[in-house]
Amino acid sequence: MSSKLLGERIKRKEDPRLIQGRSHYVDDIQLCGMLYLAFVRSPHAHAEIKAIHSEAAQKMPGVLAVYTGADLEGRLGLIPCAAGMEGLKVPPHPCLALRRVRYVGEPVAVVVASGRYQAVDAAAQVEVDYEPLPAITDLDKAVSSDSPVIHESLGDNIAFVAKLEGGDWKAVESDASLKVIRQRLVNQRLAPLSMETRGVVASYSPGEDTLTVWSSTQIPHLLKTQLAVMTGMDEARVRVIAPEVGGAFGSKLNVYAEEGVACFVSRQFGKPVKWIESRRENLMATIHGRDQIDDLEIYFRPDGKVMGLKCHILANLGAYHQLLTPAIPTLTALMILGCYNIPAVFVETKGVFTNTMSTDAYRGAGRPEATYIIERVMDMVARELNLDPVEVRLKNFPPPGKDIVLATGVSYDTANYQKTLKKVLTLSGYKKLRREQARLRKKGKYLGIGLSTYVEICAMGPSSRMPAGGWESGTVRVEPTGKVTVLSGTSPHGQGEETSFAQIVAEELGVPYDDVTVYHGDTNQVPMGIGTFGSRTTAVGGTAIYHAAQRIKKKMARLAAVKLGAKPSELVFRDGKIETEDGSKSVKFGEVVGEAYFAKQLPPGLAPGLVENYVFEPPNYTYPFGAHVAVVEIDNETGEVNLRNYFAVDDCGRILNPMLVDGQIHGGLAQGIGQALWEEHVYDENGQLLTGTLMDCAAPRAHQFCWFETANTETRTPVNPLGVKGVGEAGTIGSTPAIVNAVMDALRPLGVRHIDMPLKPEKIWQVLRGGSPQVV
Amino acid sequence: MKVEGSRQLAAPREVVYRCLMDPLSLAQALPGCEKLDPQPDGSYQATLKIGIASIKGTYQGRVQILDALPPESFRMKIEGKGAGGFLKGEGTISLTVQNGGTLISYSGEVQIGGMIASVGQRMMQAAAQQMVQQFFDAFSHQLPAVQPDAVNSGGLPPST
Repeated sequence: MSSKLLGERIKRKEDPRLIQGRSHYVDDIQLCGMLYLAFVRSPHAHAEIKAIHSEAAQKMPGVLAVYTGADLEGRLGLIPCAAGMEGLKVPPHPCLALRRVRYVGEPVAVVVASGRYQAVDAAAQVEVDYEPLPAITDLDKAVSSDSPVIHESLGDNIAFVAKLEGGDWKAVESDASLKVIRQRLVNQRLAPLSMETRGVVASYSPGEDTLTVWSSTQIPHLLKTQLAVMTGMDEARVRVIAPEVGGAFGSKLNVYAEEGVACFVSRQFGKPVKWIESRRENLMATIHGRDQIDDLEIYFRPDGKVMGLKCHILANLGAYHQLLTPAIPTLTALMILGCYNIPAVFVETKGVFTNTMSTDAYRGAGRPEATYIIERVMDMVARELNLDPVEVRLKNFPPPGKDIVLATGVSYDTANYQKTLKKVLTLSGYKKLRREQARLRKKGKYLGIGLSTYVEICAMGPSSRMPAGGWESGTVRVEPTGKVTVLSGTSPHGQGEETSFAQIVAEELGVPYDDVTVYHGDTNQVPMGIGTFGSRTTAVGGTAIYHAAQRIKKKMARLAAVKLGAKPSELVFRDGKIETEDGSKSVKFGEVVGEAYFAKQLPPGLAPGLVENYVFEPPNYTYPFGAHVAVVEIDNETGEVNLRNYFAVDDCGRILNPMLVDGQIHGGLAQGIGQALWEEHVYDENGQLLTGTLMDCAAPRAHQFCWFETANTETRTPVNPLGVKGVGEAGTIGSTPAIVNAVMDALRPLGVRHIDMPLKPEKIWQVLRGGSPQVV
Repeated sequence: MKVEGSRQLAAPREVVYRCLMDPLSLAQALPGCEKLDPQPDGSYQATLKIGIASIKGTYQGRVQILDALPPESFRMKIEGKGAGGFLKGEGTISLTVQNGGTLISYSGEVQIGGMIASVGQRMMQAAAQQMVQQFFDAFSHQLPAVQPDAVNSGGLPPST
């Protein structure tokens, strides 16, 4: 077919406007009479608020008002948590702190001024008297019975305890032939660090009684509902628009205090209100990711077959729940067996409050932690038995197939883990690398080869298993001129679905790719949807659009059939025509569109117009997988890890646009490798954020990476008709353990089993000198 | 954060001790000190204007002298807050007779929070040491009949 679009490396529709700076982010929005907000934030991790003195600030030029938590109480709702887990403790989370602050950066008051600088200057003049309380940042201490309690009404600092158990543990524990490894792994806290910080413009129109909100968000529809609830407004009068969003990585899958406060203030003054987050605020008051301590017990046979895995997880939730905070670590438990058929599993997850910013979804969201655990397990078992890590993995893979159910109860849609592993071993020249490693070791040089064969859960997801609905809506509207409008309930912000959705629709309708325009992110323009997260946009949102296109085709085929004297089922859509397979009977696409709109001779029962909406409810998640090989060299003098090669073979199901897949993998790898080697978001024992600026908070840069060799296999999923699985998080999930496994492989002659991330030179240097990897 | 060190001064211990207890000479020696008002309870209300890293600000605080054992030692407690955050510190200052002069040894813990912690953290240790040095440089000039350059010691480089 000449119009073949799917599977092609088509350039992004989004890029020209972004590259040329011709688009609009929240901060580009300027409205007449706009007011500005600046937040007064707690410098203490834990303290009683004794008094707030705002008189001096109120008198400063341009200042219209200062609000505190007490001013908002009963007038603005609490920050919502959507994780409906059984027995979950949910502390009240006001937009501005009430009586007590519980993390550094918690908003305490807000200044409203007619200028942005005036607001910031006045905020510095608001004086707050605090009575400091002991801060709790250490997870082991937070769960001990004598720890101070962060939310006194909850009794202790444990928000939930969740258990996941499967398989025959009696058989495992009574088998004396099994070996056991016990190991603690720390998965450090990270800052999502999107290029564009958060920001919101709220504009209340008193005459119309409508509220329009522009927010840098991944979930405009869910945000609209929540802002209506928080402000007490009629939801039909609230509109949320996600304009251009400059990255999010999960951090904007949320409802934040500042969004609620902006709406409140706009309604108070009947004027538009803007707040743009500074980078300092972004690092301390936008959700963080990861932060788990995982205590493992691994039971395995001398031949490398793992028989049982126990894990006690302490998950740092921060001081309050944000939208999905407690749900994230439960994904770790669910995916802890990775792609291995381990017959017995036991996971106990404790969600723990500490005096830190909330954790929540950060690219991978619970699955990088799981993959890190299980991929380190495989390497530790291989090391203990002196086996090649490839051999141990092959011994534990389930055979290729469909609907593979593991001891966790998770049912993987399709799998062929052997295939990706084989491909990456060939791509990397694995055997040759091992020979090189042996040669270099004789010379006292440390080369490391690290594997990661991951599987992840995405295309979220079946509504029965999602906190707030997992379906998605898609609309296809053929305009009277034959151009095509596509509306999606998802909210892409860099992933490129304006391109892939146009590919789907153009291919299905047989119209030029340039004739299709995709819109998303405006709740008044697009039917209700869920949003962009959990690598769901193409697999769930794209499928909804695919189905909507089928409905359009069905209707147009009926119209064309009348014109051509053919059966609708005989007709195909291609090259701007609707015709029989042999091309003998043919009518132009535009002509049929005209019929639908002029409605002169519609077949009975067919309504005029060409607009179809479809809501897709996925029957299962999808489970993309892959195999990565990292090659690292250790600098013996400095302890620095030099990333020499990286090979990634990813299977994300059917590939609609290889360029978009490559882009997602490259970005994901950078973030996953960043966690392994450099990144950590650090609080000191008093709850002060030490990585509060980009001087101290490591962000990976291009020069730190090698060239990524990427390749794919395509194992289509039966979960959706497109066969796509999702790829947004795969690179992040797969790469972190590959790097750590490579470094530990390099240091193997030194007899060290594990070093916690990030693998900074100072830790490696100490190990090279026979010490233990302490941080100074 | 730990702050410790020592400094040799060419004045008798009693004189040094007396000067350390004198609000006027303290105020003149404390870097950025704009005000040091004695309070009825024996503490001082202080206004300090200091810059750490890129964070310049005015801090209001309280300085308390505790466990005074003239002329041997005392404990000092400092609390301050401002737009840049807060700081809390406590330390012991002891004076010993040495080489015909006085050796001042100080050792304390300082806790900082807010913007100065998140922005200036890496510079804090160096900044604190520098401020202590500035203090003693200025303070030594207040002592009667002193040649400060001749008596510098205690690990801190001589000031120029």
